[in-house]
Amino acid sequence: MNDNNQNSPSKFCAGCGHPIVLLALGKTLEEMGLSKQAVLGLDIGCSLLAINFLPINTFHTHHGRVSPTMVGFKKARQDSICLGYTGDGGAYAIGLQSLLHSAKRDEPITVLVVNNTVYAMTGGQTAPTTLKGQKTITDPDGCKNAPILGPELMRQVADPKAFLARTAVNDIKQAREFIKKAIETQQAGHFSLIEFLSFCPTNWRTKGQETLEYLENLKKVFKIGVI
Amino acid sequence: MLIKILIAGDGGQGVQTISDIICQAAFENGFFVNHIPNYGLEQRGGVSLSYITIGDKEITYPKFSMPDILVVLSKQADNRTKQYQKESVKMLNIEDYKKDLEKQSVKPQNYNIFFLGLLAKILVEKKICGEDCVLKLLEKKFGKKENWEEKKNVFELSLNYV
Amino acid sequence: MVNSRQFLTGSEVFVRAAIDSGAGFMFGYPITPASEILSGWINSGKKYLQTEDEIAAGFALCGAVLGGEKAFTATSGPGNILMQDGLSMAEGMRLPFVMVAAQRGGPSSGTVIYSQQEVILSCFGGNGEGMRFVYSPSNLSELYKFTRKAFNDAWHYRFPAIILTDGYLLKTKGVIDFAKIGEIKNISPRALVPKDSVVHWPNIYTFEEELYQEIKLAKDDFEKVAEDIADCESYQTDKADILLVAHGIVGAAAKEAVDELRKKGINAGLFRPITLRPLARKKLDKIAGQESVKKIVVVESSLGQLARIIRDQIAPEICAEFAYMQYPGLGIETEAIVDFVAGLRVVSGEI
Repeated sequence: MNDNNQNSPSKFCAGCGHPIVLLALGKTLEEMGLSKQAVLGLDIGCSLLAINFLPINTFHTHHGRVSPTMVGFKKARQDSICLGYTGDGGAYAIGLQSLLHSAKRDEPITVLVVNNTVYAMTGGQTAPTTLKGQKTITDPDGCKNAPILGPELMRQVADPKAFLARTAVNDIKQAREFIKKAIETQQAGHFSLIEFLSFCPTNWRTKGQETLEYLENLKKVFKIGVI
Repeated sequence: MLIKILIAGDGGQGVQTISDIICQAAFENGFFVNHIPNYGLEQRGGVSLSYITIGDKEITYPKFSMPDILVVLSKQADNRTKQYQKESVKMLNIEDYKKDLEKQSVKPQNYNIFFLGLLAKILVEKKICGEDCVLKLLEKKFGKKENWEEKKNVFELSLNYV
Repeated sequence: MVNSRQFLTGSEVFVRAAIDSGAGFMFGYPITPASEILSGWINSGKKYLQTEDEIAAGFALCGAVLGGEKAFTATSGPGNILMQDGLSMAEGMRLPFVMVAAQRGGPSSGTVIYSQQEVILSCFGGNGEGMRFVYSPSNLSELYKFTRKAFNDAWHYRFPAIILTDGYLLKTKGVIDFAKIGEIKNISPRALVPKDSVVHWPNIYTFEEELYQEIKLAKDDFEKVAEDIADCESYQTDKADILLVAHGIVGAAAKEAVDELRKKGINAGLFRPITLRPLARKKLDKIAGQESVKKIVVVESSLGQLARIIRDQIAPEICAEFAYMQYPGLGIETEAIVDFVAGLRVVSGEI
């Protein structure tokens, strides 16, 4: 249980969207006075780099396994705020079965999905969220199928009281507003999931303004708002 | 003292029901009892086997390679248990009783009760359990059912069967 | 007072042991022959979650113990394979992950009641080093006792603990006398993720050296506690010519076989490992290293999974010959062991 990296610098790439999501989460928890009750479980992928980012209890799980782990944690500690932090691959590919069933059973946990349309840590392979026609190292001729729309898919099985939404890292105000709603939904005993459209300039091979344009472009396929 | 009983029948014929009663009766009489059910994947229709060991000291292994008594409730079970049908094994086979049972209008769904009675008779002789105890357990299981009188009659018929 | 002598199935005994251990939660997915544990637990009014698969059960269990709940799961065969994912996390983070593995036949969906083919999987499954406690009870009263012990050892020493059994023992209904087992004190669970301070708890590392340090720490701890945990039964081993080695209910059949063989004038004894992980090595070496021992006969319902563990751990200077009786996926009755050993023609004095 080493904690000696607490003050080490962020391990995220320059221009990555993860720190924006994490800061929004940290600030919202602080504002709600819930930092002590919050427990952040991390999926594997770039999400794991968040291990010492926030001054809240944080632990790693396995790839695709953050939602069942947080479901179990919540059963043990009902007064905790259980947050599962994952990428799009962990959420909608390897972890989809558990995610769907957590939503179906209306488990009172909050899942935060960072969607950058690629498997980023492993070098930019096709993800379940990769756009049709998008070139990746495992789809050099472009992805042939449409992406999975996570919150919309969850809506098919989730309880009507579940909070499902999508926002983007270039709208901090909305991101924080959704995080607050998601946590309140958990406190009311229901499932919540927010997808954050996020930057990955390293794998998108974009710079500055291009990165922002790329993100804006994603919003045409991935609808922003409460789903 | 160690007595090994194998009961075989079609799934749904009530093999496990009569096994439970025999075992409970021996247990209540202070004996060590071990009962291991064995059936296939089917919820209904396959062969259901029941391995019962009763002894006056602790039973270490739940299964055995050869029973002392073999109870066979169906044609399918007869085929499945050929390996156990040796001269040294006391056989209670439906084939030997079927005509008689039909003559006495015993319904096929009560064949298990008939064999429960035959088994009980043997175990009572060996002082493993009392007749009353078996009847009491049978009543506990079926006493409130509509066809209780019918089952009770079959049981009594088997106790007096020669 | 409730009569201490009871007539129960193995599943009922396990559920009672879990309740008596103070367990508060079960995560599970239906699979024969472990399903009766889930239904028995539910019928006893305890808290549970039927998950979408065994992977989820394993990780939900990790989450619950991180939160400080004494919890467990039960599985078998293909489910045991999936469970290794969560067990690997438990091993990496030293979580008190308690599981009962009811072996069924394999590979694939195999058969549904019995085998001893999940020994290597249960002891060494996952991408780790097998740092977990594995108990193999041979009868109902051991099933009770070692389930209680598994919960205690897991929470005391912080290693995963597996009760390795099979459908024969779980479905078997037999007589158990709780008065003979005596009182067992429970180790209390604690919140591993604290409530009043902050931890950042990794299970993935940037550098090889970091992981190496973690494994080394765990290895040292595991070796330190191995002496306390390792357990076995030795029966008629003093100056035995033939040493039978068997575990679980085959161990029970082998014990009977020892008596039968001795009646025939064959000087047999039994080493029955109760913990397969860690193994009672010192005891094994002492028994197998006796000059009298000419043959070590490993008897098991698998193609040599127990034998692999024994050969790996026995002192290399022990020169008794090995013989193997292996019925993968099949029950092994006392008579078969007697015939096999008698067939080896190594009757006392003739070697």
